[in-house]
Amino acid sequence: MSAEFELTRNITIGQYLPTASVVHRLDPRFKLGAFAILIVAIAICNTYVGNLFALAVCLWLFQVSKIPLHYGISGIKPAIPFIIILAIMQLLFYGEIANGGTVYFQYGIISISSESIRLVIVSAMRFVEVIFLSSVLTLSTSTTELTHGMERLLGPLEKVKFPVHAFALIITIAIRFVPTFAMEMEKMMKAQASRGADFGTGEWWRIVQRTKDMFPIIIPLFNVALSRAEDLILAMEARCYMPGASRTRYTQYKAKGIDYAALGASVVISVVMLGIPW
Amino acid sequence: MEKGLTVRKIVIAGVLGAIAILLGVTRLGYIPVPTAAGNATIMHIPAVIGGIMEGWGVGMIIGLIFGVSSFLNATVPLFKDPLVAILPRLFIGVTAYLTYVGLKNVNQYLAIGAAGFIGALTNTVLVLGLAVIRGYMPFGVAATVAVTNGLPEAVVSVIVTLAVVAAWKKLGSSGRQKSKISGDF
Repeated sequence: MSAEFELTRNITIGQYLPTASVVHRLDPRFKLGAFAILIVAIAICNTYVGNLFALAVCLWLFQVSKIPLHYGISGIKPAIPFIIILAIMQLLFYGEIANGGTVYFQYGIISISSESIRLVIVSAMRFVEVIFLSSVLTLSTSTTELTHGMERLLGPLEKVKFPVHAFALIITIAIRFVPTFAMEMEKMMKAQASRGADFGTGEWWRIVQRTKDMFPIIIPLFNVALSRAEDLILAMEARCYMPGASRTRYTQYKAKGIDYAALGASVVISVVMLGIPW
Repeated sequence: MEKGLTVRKIVIAGVLGAIAILLGVTRLGYIPVPTAAGNATIMHIPAVIGGIMEGWGVGMIIGLIFGVSSFLNATVPLFKDPLVAILPRLFIGVTAYLTYVGLKNVNQYLAIGAAGFIGALTNTVLVLGLAVIRGYMPFGVAATVAVTNGLPEAVVSVIVTLAVVAAWKKLGSSGRQKSKISGDF
């Protein structure tokens, strides 16, 4: 029960594991680029061997970045029941929609074909791969590096009047405020509980009741957030912050050979992954 | 982004984005509904509120933050697909804003409530539509989920949006809005 109130403990956002590996030292711009290429390739790839290859690449990344594999596995554990339920549904009901392939079994609306089996296995593998990849990225890159890298990567968009700097600032503010609001929320939950409200004690099938329990938390949370926003707006304007004004940067990134190599490797891996015909 | 981003827009987008992330990581943003898609969500509400308060640009950015955070936190394979997790969420704030602007002159409360409803509906319809197209669930299942998850989502969205925005608008006029530079005088 007490664990219900320990919100700040569960926030793993910006969790960073400094093992000082090659992956950690990569230029964040190139790391993000390589990550994006691999994610897109995984989302498109729907062959068995291609996905096996992608899985091998993910495991190799854990090895190279010196991150213990259980960090990745802990991300998969809570999802296993969902994966199984979804897999069974896809297996039973998807046969006739996924046309093509040989039909092995058919009874009423239930039909199992080679295509639906492929769909089930590939989507489960895809899920594991994406979890592994995103854990490597977030565990090896600090949030500051991530936002800086993103800002630089989007830099060219400034030519078409896209407010890149403002956008990076929004992301930074959002990440900065998550722990603050978590604390506020904890305070509000404790305040409500000390007045006799109960959270999470209702049975799961009493959906309406459990939803109603949330209102005394959610609505004040928005109000606290908005009044904090007012404070921040006032503070920024008092210091003459001008959105869109040109400003210099504190951190400068310089690409090295290894960064280009990483980007090249991700392209090669994607091409191989999509090129495998089975 | 008609006039570019003001300080106000930047900060409101950041702060509401933070709430979207927070609701996701603490699991408080989920209504436990026992269906195929797992849980109903209330995490689209920050995008709706941002859209109503600061326009479609802010709504779209909050939608993007919500989408990316749900993509990174997802425990269901369905939302580990960027096409399903991120793309549909961009439009939540936009439709909410359009609804609000369209009905604003009829009745403020009606407009806010309707924007909450339409915003939630945008999320449900687009996410499930893409789920069907991308082959994660057959049409029949998606339709059931739309009713069992989408309906509670829409109702909760209307209530929270109305409560927050109505309260905030009243406070704003009575001097709660501290900064007068970026607001309209």
